Amino acid sequence: MVENDEFGGRLKVLGWLSVLVIAVLIGRAGYLQIYEGDYYARLAEGNRIRIIPTMAPRGTFFDRNGELLVQNRPGFAVSLMPVMTKIDPVVITRLSELLKVPVEEIDKKIEAHTGFDPIRIKADVTPDIVTIIEEQKNNYPGVIIEVQPIRDYMNKEEAAHTYGYVSEINDMELEKKKDEGYKSGDIIGKFGLEKIYDKELRGENGGQQVEVDVTGKPVQIIGNKPPTPGDDLYLTIDKNLQTAAEKAVDEQLKQINANAAAVVAMNPQTGEILAMVSRPAFDPNLFAHGISSKDWNKLNNNPYHPMDNKAITGEYPPGSTFKIITGTAALTEGVVSPSELIMDSGHHWIIPKGNAEGEALGLINFQQAMAHSDNVYFYEMGNRLGIDRLEKYARMFGLGKITGIDLPYESDGLVANRRYKEKNFEDGDWYLSETFDAAIGQGFNLVTPLQAAMVMGEIAADGKRYKPHLVNRIVAPDGSTVKEFKPELLGTLDVRPEVISLVQAGLHDVTKYGTAAGIFRGFPIEIAGKTGTAENPHGRDHGWFVAYGPFANPDIVVAVIVEQGGFGSQSAVPIGRKVLEAWFGLNKPEPAAEAKKQ
Amino acid sequence: MTKSILRRTDITLLAATAGILVMSIIIIGSATHINTPGEERYWFVARQGLFAAVNIAMAAFLMNFDYKMLQGYGNKLYIFNLIMLIAVMLVGQSALGAQRWISIGPISIQPSEFSKIIMIVSLATMLEERVGKLNNIHDLLPVAAYVGVPFLLVLKQPDLGTSLVFMAIFFGMVFICGINLRLLGGIFATGIAMMPLLWHFLKDYQKMRIMVFMDPNVDPLGSGYHIIQSKIAIGSGMLFGKGLFEGTQSQLDFLPENHTDFIFAVVGEELGFIGVVVLLLLYLVVLWRGVQIAQDASDMFGRLLAVGITSMLAFHVLVNVGMTLGIMPVTGIPLPLMSYGVSSLTTNITAIAILLNIQLRKKKLEF
Repeated sequence: MVENDEFGGRLKVLGWLSVLVIAVLIGRAGYLQIYEGDYYARLAEGNRIRIIPTMAPRGTFFDRNGELLVQNRPGFAVSLMPVMTKIDPVVITRLSELLKVPVEEIDKKIEAHTGFDPIRIKADVTPDIVTIIEEQKNNYPGVIIEVQPIRDYMNKEEAAHTYGYVSEINDMELEKKKDEGYKSGDIIGKFGLEKIYDKELRGENGGQQVEVDVTGKPVQIIGNKPPTPGDDLYLTIDKNLQTAAEKAVDEQLKQINANAAAVVAMNPQTGEILAMVSRPAFDPNLFAHGISSKDWNKLNNNPYHPMDNKAITGEYPPGSTFKIITGTAALTEGVVSPSELIMDSGHHWIIPKGNAEGEALGLINFQQAMAHSDNVYFYEMGNRLGIDRLEKYARMFGLGKITGIDLPYESDGLVANRRYKEKNFEDGDWYLSETFDAAIGQGFNLVTPLQAAMVMGEIAADGKRYKPHLVNRIVAPDGSTVKEFKPELLGTLDVRPEVISLVQAGLHDVTKYGTAAGIFRGFPIEIAGKTGTAENPHGRDHGWFVAYGPFANPDIVVAVIVEQGGFGSQSAVPIGRKVLEAWFGLNKPEPAAEAKKQ
Repeated sequence: MTKSILRRTDITLLAATAGILVMSIIIIGSATHINTPGEERYWFVARQGLFAAVNIAMAAFLMNFDYKMLQGYGNKLYIFNLIMLIAVMLVGQSALGAQRWISIGPISIQPSEFSKIIMIVSLATMLEERVGKLNNIHDLLPVAAYVGVPFLLVLKQPDLGTSLVFMAIFFGMVFICGINLRLLGGIFATGIAMMPLLWHFLKDYQKMRIMVFMDPNVDPLGSGYHIIQSKIAIGSGMLFGKGLFEGTQSQLDFLPENHTDFIFAVVGEELGFIGVVVLLLLYLVVLWRGVQIAQDASDMFGRLLAVGITSMLAFHVLVNVGMTLGIMPVTGIPLPLMSYGVSSLTTNITAIAILLNIQLRKKKLEF
């Protein structure tokens, strides 16, 4: 033992100090592990578990005969896993070079990102980029490939305005739709059917629960919830008719050197839209993975507004197609009898307004006036009816309000009336000349091509007005029908059946000896039609044509407008004829004729 | 080594040390992914195991020599220590902002680790003649200067952790040497009063470490990251731990330095509170035996050696484990006998060997 052990007692202090140190450490460990253990366990889970959403394939579109119109193709997106530490700048630089996305842009995306979802860096990359990232995993820690269905509009511009397009949800939409389960980065329908039926089409995203290491590199998959695909839409559109209508419009625009047009084809007995065309158009595929600013500017700077669906948004003076309404009103109100002859001397006797070309048809009755679209006759009808009765009948036909078709941004048009004049003009008085204008569809009246088709359709369907619609059935991924759209009767014209018959007869004569007779000569199916020319203060007149057939039992009504196409009979009628040909199967050489040739 | 030596050796200390070493090898294995295929997966475990074996063999051989021989080398070792520390400053390699390493062939050594044990031997040699003679500042000044020179050299590297270990050794030994308690109290009081002044001498990263210690969330992705992830690792281990190789914090590399300075967090995460208690109790046995050996030492030199070693080990355990638990600032102090590192392992096995040697040659009880 140590001699002279004066300070040996101090060793006890050292001993107990050691005990104290160990006790404090055990106490602290116990506090963290037992008392706060659950809290730290959650933090540890948060460190290592990430959810990679699996995007649900969007529902596809089929035409009325089951032909595929819009589908999805597999796409690959490159994303970064959010990690606890800073992402290695070397990885970001490497990724920037591979994807040709500037480093600053990647940094910005990382900066703006919150939560634990992957940070999307570039959508829809080419397969070779996918291969490089998969093969050089260690060079790209935390970089993952997300399989992402990309919307594929197989027919490009065809029916683009009807189908619409999809794009990433923006902040405003997100704010509005947060409660409906929309999340940042979601793809959402922005236009057309894609917008209206987005809720049905989008399906439900699934997700993979993935364990990642500190660099965000996935180590193993812990859980997987497969996505539920969206519901499919079976449209009322007839693909063949649509293609034919598009082709007819393009050919005609090229031939007469015009730029904009719209066509609506509908079954008047059900309201099913069979085809819908708007020109100029756009390619919705451009939007599927973010449109380039070059493409966007090109669309935006086009003076003919390719992004508008002119079939439902374009408002034009109805021109002579309005004479259907004026005529129905005059006969119903009894201001004229079908046989009464009215003198057309080239211009009306109260106000010297006349026919477009100044021609005089002499003494004519109702049916002749309709067939030749005689202005003087219908001025007189306007004169006898007065503006208020004209307004009443226009509204009875459904003008001045939206039809309620399942497409966004529909315009309501305008019915000429006294209140409108009072409200919008300094000189609020109504003049007879304005009644004259209204009676032949000029002046204040405005209709959309769809409304024009609706008016013609009501005559075709003996006064019945069905709600126009584009979808027949919504079908779930398992094949069961979620919803079926039956014809919905919106209203019936409060006129006597013989009035409708008289109007029908007049319209029938249009293609027999009237304004459309030249182009419909030899057409094997009986067609009723009406041409129109809408005065356009900004340029050449717009050409109109509405028609239905077969005359006895119509299953199609067509409305055509060619912006700045001049006379309807020359610009719109040829398109209408081609559409009807396609519908009745006359555009293909008949098998018999084919056989004869051989 | 004769049978009689083995019979008379402190089996308790030997067993506790062996227990810690076994845990060390297992946990290093887990932290370095020994269970996942890879070319060099055994590298760390093999190296640590090999050096442990070499060190134990050398220690066993040295048991044949009396520790008292060291007394004759006290001053020579002191000079060697200074040369070594100056060499680090001149040819040392830096790691993490500090010059700490010298490469000798395939081995990188950390002289500041060895300098701890050399410091203990030199200081014991010096203090042996001064027992009970440390009554005022004049008595203490030569001792303080003696420790101060290597202390400043280490601080200059900069290696704040090791220099603090020097202070722990210094105070432990002068306390047992019988320093006047009022003098000791005065020194502590002055030290605390001078803290704000000391702040100015700290490097920026050291200041940050202190600030982060107060609140790790000051810099959660930078300096605070280690502490946050270490606390998550330990806390999430809960009572029974996640199991060996199953600690997500460690296995997925969220926990940095998991085989060196933060190895204790792996114990906490994978073996849980139970593993933590077992390991800390093993350390307590080592420390308690250290004090006991000091008590039983046959001379004052042996006692001072034992006290220096015990102080060193206790301080290491407190600062390292305290750091992983978030109650001590981050300093680069390894956990004795647990952390991966050849220099640290050699120093600590040597320290334990010296304790065993002192115990072996304690004054025999007469029957």
